[in-house]
Amino acid sequence: MTLLSIPKEKAKDWIEGICFFILGFIGALIVGWFLFPMALYSEHTQPIDFNHAIHLENVEGDTLTEKCLYCHEFYEDGTFAGIPRIEKCEDCHDPESPMGDSLEEKKFLTKYQAQEKEIPWYHYYRQPPCVYFPHISHVKMAKIACKTCHGDHGTSELLPVYQENRISGYSRNIWGKHISGYKEHTWDRMKMDDCAECHTKKGHEEFNSCFTCHK
Amino acid sequence: MKLNRRNFILSLAGGLIGINFTPLPWKLMDDISIWTQNWPWVPVPERGRFHYEKTVCTLCPGGCGIKVRKVDGISGNRAVKIEGRTDYPVNPLGICPVGMGSLQLLYDESLRFTGPMKRGGMRGSGEFVNISWKEGISLLAKKINELRAKGKPESIVAIDGNRKGSTCSLLIERLIKAIGSPNYVRISNMEDTYEIACKLMAGKSSPVSFDLENSDYILSFGCALIDGWGSPGRIINAWSMWHDYNSKEKPKIVQIEPKASDTASKAAEWVAIRPGTEAAFALGIAHVIVKQGLYNKRFVENCCFGFKDWVGSDGQIHTGFKNILLKRYSPDRVSSITGVPKEKIISLAKEFAKAKRPVAIFGKDKGELPGSIFEYMAIMALNALVGSINRIGGLLIQDGLPLKDLDDPVLDSISRRGLRKDRLDDAGTEKAPFTHSIAEAISEKAEEIELLMIFSSNPLYTLPNTKALRKAFGKIPFIVTFSPFLDDSAMMADLALPDHVYLEKIDEVIWPTGLQYPLYGLSKPVISPIYNTKHTGDVVIQIAKKIGGSVAKSFPWSSFEDVVKYRVRGLYEAGGSVKYNADKPVWEMIRKREKPEKGYSSFSDMWKKIKENGLWFDVPDYNKCSFSTPSGKFEFFSHVLFYHKNKLKAMGVTARNDEAFMPHYESQELKVSGYELKMIPYGMINLSSGWMPSPPFVYKTIFDNQLLKEDSFVDINPKLAKSLKLKQADRVILSSPAGNIKVRVNITETVPPDCVYIPMGFGHTGYDEFIRGKGANPNEIILGRRDPVSGHKVWWSTPVKIVKL
Amino acid sequence: MKHEHNKPLHRYGMVIDLDKCTGCGTCVVACASENNVSVRPDESDKKRFISWMQLYMITNGKEYPYTEVCYIPRPCMHCEEDGHGNPHPPCVSVCVATATRVDINTGIVSQIPTRCIGCRYCQAACPYHARYFNWWDAYFPKGKGLERYLSPEVSVRMRGVVEKCTFCHHRYMRAKRKAEAEGRRELKEEEYITACTEACPAGAITFGDLNNPKHKVSQLIKSDRAFRLLERLNTKPKVYYLSSKEWVRRMADNYLPEELKPVKPLALRR
Repeated sequence: MTLLSIPKEKAKDWIEGICFFILGFIGALIVGWFLFPMALYSEHTQPIDFNHAIHLENVEGDTLTEKCLYCHEFYEDGTFAGIPRIEKCEDCHDPESPMGDSLEEKKFLTKYQAQEKEIPWYHYYRQPPCVYFPHISHVKMAKIACKTCHGDHGTSELLPVYQENRISGYSRNIWGKHISGYKEHTWDRMKMDDCAECHTKKGHEEFNSCFTCHK
Repeated sequence: MKLNRRNFILSLAGGLIGINFTPLPWKLMDDISIWTQNWPWVPVPERGRFHYEKTVCTLCPGGCGIKVRKVDGISGNRAVKIEGRTDYPVNPLGICPVGMGSLQLLYDESLRFTGPMKRGGMRGSGEFVNISWKEGISLLAKKINELRAKGKPESIVAIDGNRKGSTCSLLIERLIKAIGSPNYVRISNMEDTYEIACKLMAGKSSPVSFDLENSDYILSFGCALIDGWGSPGRIINAWSMWHDYNSKEKPKIVQIEPKASDTASKAAEWVAIRPGTEAAFALGIAHVIVKQGLYNKRFVENCCFGFKDWVGSDGQIHTGFKNILLKRYSPDRVSSITGVPKEKIISLAKEFAKAKRPVAIFGKDKGELPGSIFEYMAIMALNALVGSINRIGGLLIQDGLPLKDLDDPVLDSISRRGLRKDRLDDAGTEKAPFTHSIAEAISEKAEEIELLMIFSSNPLYTLPNTKALRKAFGKIPFIVTFSPFLDDSAMMADLALPDHVYLEKIDEVIWPTGLQYPLYGLSKPVISPIYNTKHTGDVVIQIAKKIGGSVAKSFPWSSFEDVVKYRVRGLYEAGGSVKYNADKPVWEMIRKREKPEKGYSSFSDMWKKIKENGLWFDVPDYNKCSFSTPSGKFEFFSHVLFYHKNKLKAMGVTARNDEAFMPHYESQELKVSGYELKMIPYGMINLSSGWMPSPPFVYKTIFDNQLLKEDSFVDINPKLAKSLKLKQADRVILSSPAGNIKVRVNITETVPPDCVYIPMGFGHTGYDEFIRGKGANPNEIILGRRDPVSGHKVWWSTPVKIVKL
Repeated sequence: MKHEHNKPLHRYGMVIDLDKCTGCGTCVVACASENNVSVRPDESDKKRFISWMQLYMITNGKEYPYTEVCYIPRPCMHCEEDGHGNPHPPCVSVCVATATRVDINTGIVSQIPTRCIGCRYCQAACPYHARYFNWWDAYFPKGKGLERYLSPEVSVRMRGVVEKCTFCHHRYMRAKRKAEAEGRRELKEEEYITACTEACPAGAITFGDLNNPKHKVSQLIKSDRAFRLLERLNTKPKVYYLSSKEWVRRMADNYLPEELKPVKPLALRR
């Protein structure tokens, strides 16, 4: 029995049915590929629109990494400071004589520095609490440049909008920029497999042991 | 195109298939699985910069050096771990479990008063209403002024658990004195008995310490050496040196105790003795030493008084200690009293006397409770016989810390009149002439108390016979607590003016218990106060200022720290050191007679360093052979006691003639028919039995034959269990003439058949769900005779019976 | 860095001297406070409580007054074999979620709570009862403030997962971080020790690398006094005990009479 042998009325029904099927199919693709990612992440703007590029010009350091480390420093015990505290900012920023006349600096000086309040930054690259990531092993010992993993973040003039997964609560930068799981750059995703991939590539399979990154 | 049922289903099917070609289900699955790893109610500790802050632990008089690991997070500073300091002379390694876990005491909000409070509901209900500090202080000052105006300042009583000689205790004592009340009552412990024994035999109320690290033979009369006696950080470290398999310098440790306790099990030798016969045993050993001529003739002849018979100034012939020993304490008699075989007594005596630097140590259990004077005297005499007094490796009698004294408070006529009244607890009167305070006695005089102030103590828990005391508390119209914790006593308070918890404040360590060299420790606030609490030292000053008049004049300082700084000047004048080199333990310096480097250039430099490192110490010079007694010697025959000979009967001393003034044995046991068993309480190092609550962490170290849900256990011998037809963990009622407690039985061979051993530290009615209602407090039914000399309750043996439930 | 599979670079191990141990329990408290182990209002339920380092009391069973007691602190034994000659501990081979492995760098038996599915198979496989199941969520009620002492170095566990001693692995990380800040890759002996080792006021616990003959642990395990718990199971624990008392050593396993060699008692200088 072929389609042609079906009576015309019935064939029309079938075609109509297939259309509905395709409609549902396409609808699902739209939902899955476009609407879902939009709904999955909540967006937050950072409390201060920080300009990395300007800061990079004004800090000491021979290489880009060294310049990054000027603010994102290592403490004596080897722990990584992450986003610096206002204490660090105060090294340069003085309420008496602001560095420039930007509104953002003013915001910093009046809203945070004057009130001795830390800035509630959103962390793009913060690993979950069960994960241990020693920056010092990567930056100091393995001599990996910041750029390798964080891309152009350090030279950007604007901070991207922070996107947080509504379900898991993690930053989109950690849990995958592309919804498909496709990864173009190192900084697109920082999940366990990405760590392992790099370790393996660099010939450090021993660091794929669970207790290297988990706590 | 028509949307009928079939087409709708087809579109759904299309959607269902289509969705699988999108990341949605896979991503969703991933995210949900991650979500299940991050329940919002599982706390995520904040990250931050780590650092350590050094300070001194002031939870007990042990005074261990500690460092606190802190995290500086965005939302502030948190303390996350306490560790032992390796650069502090008291505890070269770790600390005790209670100190280790006590961040919970700081951070457990339901254990603490979060600010000054007034009683809200019924007494004991634990309901409190917030008030301001100003209101709280003026309320108390008003009460005091009213009582003073009525001419009844003596009805104001303070119970203080701060260490003797600490600045806080001095300020409290001063406040009470300035108000005009003689009733400043300190909670007593082993050290108060040490002082009385010293007063009687060495002429001065001095602290007693033991140079254990330098001795080669340690005869321990029931000291729970590894269960928290003295300064646990120090003693356990020494214990470790003594038990190093490869070390060639090991002293022999002999534990004399009825129970196969931890110390007894781990000692080289354990002598199972009948409870309460330690004095007889010590004198039995002394007998053998004297009889065989093994005593240290040089010391006994040159530095002691009353060894041989002598003629008094009145021409009367007195029997010497030697003859008393020889006549009354033969191994046969001592063996029948103590239950220790005669041969054992003789062999131990020989070993002890022949050792190079032997020492006999005393103070039962953890030393948190006072002991029996004649027992302490007997063991001191034993030390004297072998010349181990003020000798390296021996028992040391030294003056207290050279802190500056405060001058006398200003008194007005009300105060002067009040201070002439007798104390409520009979301390210092005819009945107990040498005693500073007898806290447990106040329960008999509760009617005379109008205002009770409780400082750093939990009398309703730690004093014997708490049942009677609880009743007495009910009669006191106004009770003020300064405790930071919602402890058993604080629950009965009408007003709470809470102190900081130890890590939040500056506090002192006044010469750790039993340490062989003077040491002053100063703790600093390592974390800023997390609640609206105030340092009691400061509050006392503020109360005095609020009271006004002569009381305010007695307190010219602006803060507690000012007073501490003033007193520390005394240390500066005495010399000493603030610099400790961990490679050179102080006990080694004592042996080598080395003096430490001063480590400071001026007073302000010294003060800065003490505040920073929390340490001042000195290396004393021993081998002093002069004492402050009337004879100038160490007295086997106590002149001080002899001067009070008319009072002996009133005090309750049963011995007659010369023996009454010398170390002797008299049974202190209370016998009540129908209560044939002896209940002996014991302390545990992993459970606080004092006023500090136990951090919940320590309950992990408690076995389920010590505590099972709400029931604590008493240890009984299998023979006793058999005769009472009891099985392991059976519920029983333990009753003494003072009352009953419900417990379970733990059947163990570690205890003698006629004794029931019960742990101290359970059975609180205060605090929170971690501590409250867990087990039974032996203090509720402790009923003992009073020690004839000190007047303190003999706590270590109570007649009891067991009834199966 | 090439090395044979299953042959860890370091083999961290522990030696506990029971002659020195006083049974005070500081190790237990230090462990719980270091590793964010939650405390429940009822810790007397020993079947369901959690104590990575657990304290046991044993007695020689003799009648009064010949009785003696001894304490045995018991962390995870970090076994090297499963008892049948396979190079993994009994718990690792049974884990269906790969939540527990032998760490190739340290020889530590790892436990990843977030990976654990809570089947408790490992708990059944462990001959030492060293694994604990979270019957409840960590006890940090709202408003009580107890979460303020939690350390960010160790993740807090949730209901339904197994946890156990990790030889304070985060302290290894801490030490490594510090060494790397100073430009070193190798750790000194005293740099990495567990919280219980550090806390012990009696110095009864020694910790170090069993692969390094210079480390104190490597020397101590050669002592006559050294033994391991349930040695006949052949699980090759990396935790050793020392005792000069025969009854204590005898209790560690079901020894045959001739199996236990005598040790000279704690020598006395007298």
